[in-house]
Amino acid sequence: MRYFTKQQGQKEAVPVDLEPLGGDRFKLTVNGVTYQVDALALEHGTMSMLVDGQSYSAEFEENGDEVGVLLRGQVNRFDIADERRLRLRAGTAAFSVEGKQLITAPMPGKVVKVLVKVGDEVKEGQGLVVVEAMKMENELKSPKAGKVTELFAKEGTAVENNAKLVVVE
Amino acid sequence: MPKIRKVLVANRGEIAIRVMRTCKELGIATVAVYSEADRSALHVRTADQAFFVGPPPSRESYLVQERILEAAKQSGADAIHPGYGFLSENASFVRACEAAGITFIGPPASAMDAMGEKTRARANMIKAGVPVVPGTTEPIATEAEARDYAQKIGFPVMLKAAGGGGGKGMRRVEGLADFESAWRSAKSEALNAFGNDAVYIEKYLEKPHHVEIQVFADSHGNVIHLNERECSAQRRHQKVVEETPSPILTPEMRAKMGEVAVKAAKAVNYVGAGTVEFLVDVHRNFYFLEMNTRLQVEHPVTEWVTGLDLVALQIKVAEGEKLPLLQAPTPNGHSIEVRVYAEDPSRNFMPSPGKITYLRVPGGPNVRDDSGVFPGYTVPNFYDPMISKLSVWAPTRQEAIARAQRALGEYVVKGITTNIRYLKAILAHPEFVGGDYDTGFLGREHTPLQGVEDPKLTDMALLAGAVHAYQRDAKRAKTLPGAKAGASDAANQGRISPWRLALRSRRR
Repeated sequence: MRYFTKQQGQKEAVPVDLEPLGGDRFKLTVNGVTYQVDALALEHGTMSMLVDGQSYSAEFEENGDEVGVLLRGQVNRFDIADERRLRLRAGTAAFSVEGKQLITAPMPGKVVKVLVKVGDEVKEGQGLVVVEAMKMENELKSPKAGKVTELFAKEGTAVENNAKLVVVE
Repeated sequence: MPKIRKVLVANRGEIAIRVMRTCKELGIATVAVYSEADRSALHVRTADQAFFVGPPPSRESYLVQERILEAAKQSGADAIHPGYGFLSENASFVRACEAAGITFIGPPASAMDAMGEKTRARANMIKAGVPVVPGTTEPIATEAEARDYAQKIGFPVMLKAAGGGGGKGMRRVEGLADFESAWRSAKSEALNAFGNDAVYIEKYLEKPHHVEIQVFADSHGNVIHLNERECSAQRRHQKVVEETPSPILTPEMRAKMGEVAVKAAKAVNYVGAGTVEFLVDVHRNFYFLEMNTRLQVEHPVTEWVTGLDLVALQIKVAEGEKLPLLQAPTPNGHSIEVRVYAEDPSRNFMPSPGKITYLRVPGGPNVRDDSGVFPGYTVPNFYDPMISKLSVWAPTRQEAIARAQRALGEYVVKGITTNIRYLKAILAHPEFVGGDYDTGFLGREHTPLQGVEDPKLTDMALLAGAVHAYQRDAKRAKTLPGAKAGASDAANQGRISPWRLALRSRRR
């Protein structure tokens, strides 16, 4: 089987070929090198991986389609899909800061200040809304220059994670 | 004064647990208070008794003096330990405790009045002949006045909350352009954190070190210092890494700063644990910054190198005992503390509250983890994002850095994002390793601290990720009825809806 792994911030997906050899053993090829791997999955998204006598402890964290891998102090975030799933996904738009930008709450908290109103022209990096969580105030800035077309944020209201706050076009 | 038999800890999280640990060792009963958001918190289960004090926002619970005192009365506590933050530096609370006949484990209200209000403290220190950072000795009423004063002493300046510390309500301002938003956020943060929006201005010294001296005083007039802590690794004026001894202090400087700190404490008739913060400039002149009239977050590093239990010492002093030592002990070895925050360094350090799904805490020789969290605990978004303090001891600084790195490598927290990797990057940074890092270090070094990728490890992570995806897909296939060839209906019966079964039998 072939898996395509796209790392966060990278343009190209890296193919990884996987051949199950039974039990916890796999033959894997990445970047032109083939490895014999003993990969023991444990509870809580932990994996003990033995590769040519080297021992790696991997910790996984799923976040939607993305998998975070913590291994020897390094964290990589991958979007991993096999060929079938990749085809299903073809045609979804890539993320960019062109066009309409929706600014959402990065965490649950409270809107303490709204710094713009509908119709305002804003510069890139200009503060739009101040959200308070865990006693710290965080000013959310505009990802692009444009006009505020919609405003959902109300001062003094509690917001959930990912709640819509402002739209800049 | 009689022996303390029962202590109410007017705090939450790691510091509440830290205080309760010592109480348990001393045979003192403990009482917890908790808000609606903290019913499931660990400090509630650590204590012998626990009392509800109100809704999640601290202003409606942990900061409501009457409720805390009511809990103390109901529980029969004869003393209150305030921890740090919340009511720990609130003189009116100290007076309320006195009036209720409850021992407040901390300094007298008069010493707090003299030091707690930062502007008054500066004025008092000038009187006592202690060098202070140039700035106002009064809070500033309006933004326009503040702006004028800042222009007079010259940018950069610091806006600071008169009512407290902990990095809340503090802003460094580079010039007029940022003044308005800095003024606004400093004032509103100060109001939220301390219930007092008074803000004053200080000149910002270039490349200063933040070095603080731990002092201790008993009620018999004995005052000593317990050496220094280097706290220059700060982000947004919040300390991130602390160590002792300070890599930049000579024994002579330590003695001189210790002497000034003791003088400052004596000037206000201090009792208990306190910290005198100094800024040290590039020429190694030091200036009084403020005095924290409470136990500090970073007290464990002092405990490591002095061998003392500062909470036990606080309790002894509150019971009227004399200090067991009359001069500063020579620091033994080196200790480093790192603060683990529930925040995401890759998203501008956004707080990351949520459920901890998995937790593995470091151990081994000379490693200490002060935390208030556990697997399955949901970190609420109402309080400070610090979830743990990891501190280590070793004979030398170099070994302490290696040990802290090793311990951080063992730390695994899942479900929320933490700054653990950021802490590892700080400890590996040449400027930190060199030891001469100033308070601007973390702000300047933002990008290199994101860490460099090792391609070999990335390849291994790719392998692990592919196997993980394969096993995940296999598991999903197993749970999908009929998806697996050869899976008998009988084996799947428990998982298939009766509708589907009926449909299948019709097909046959």
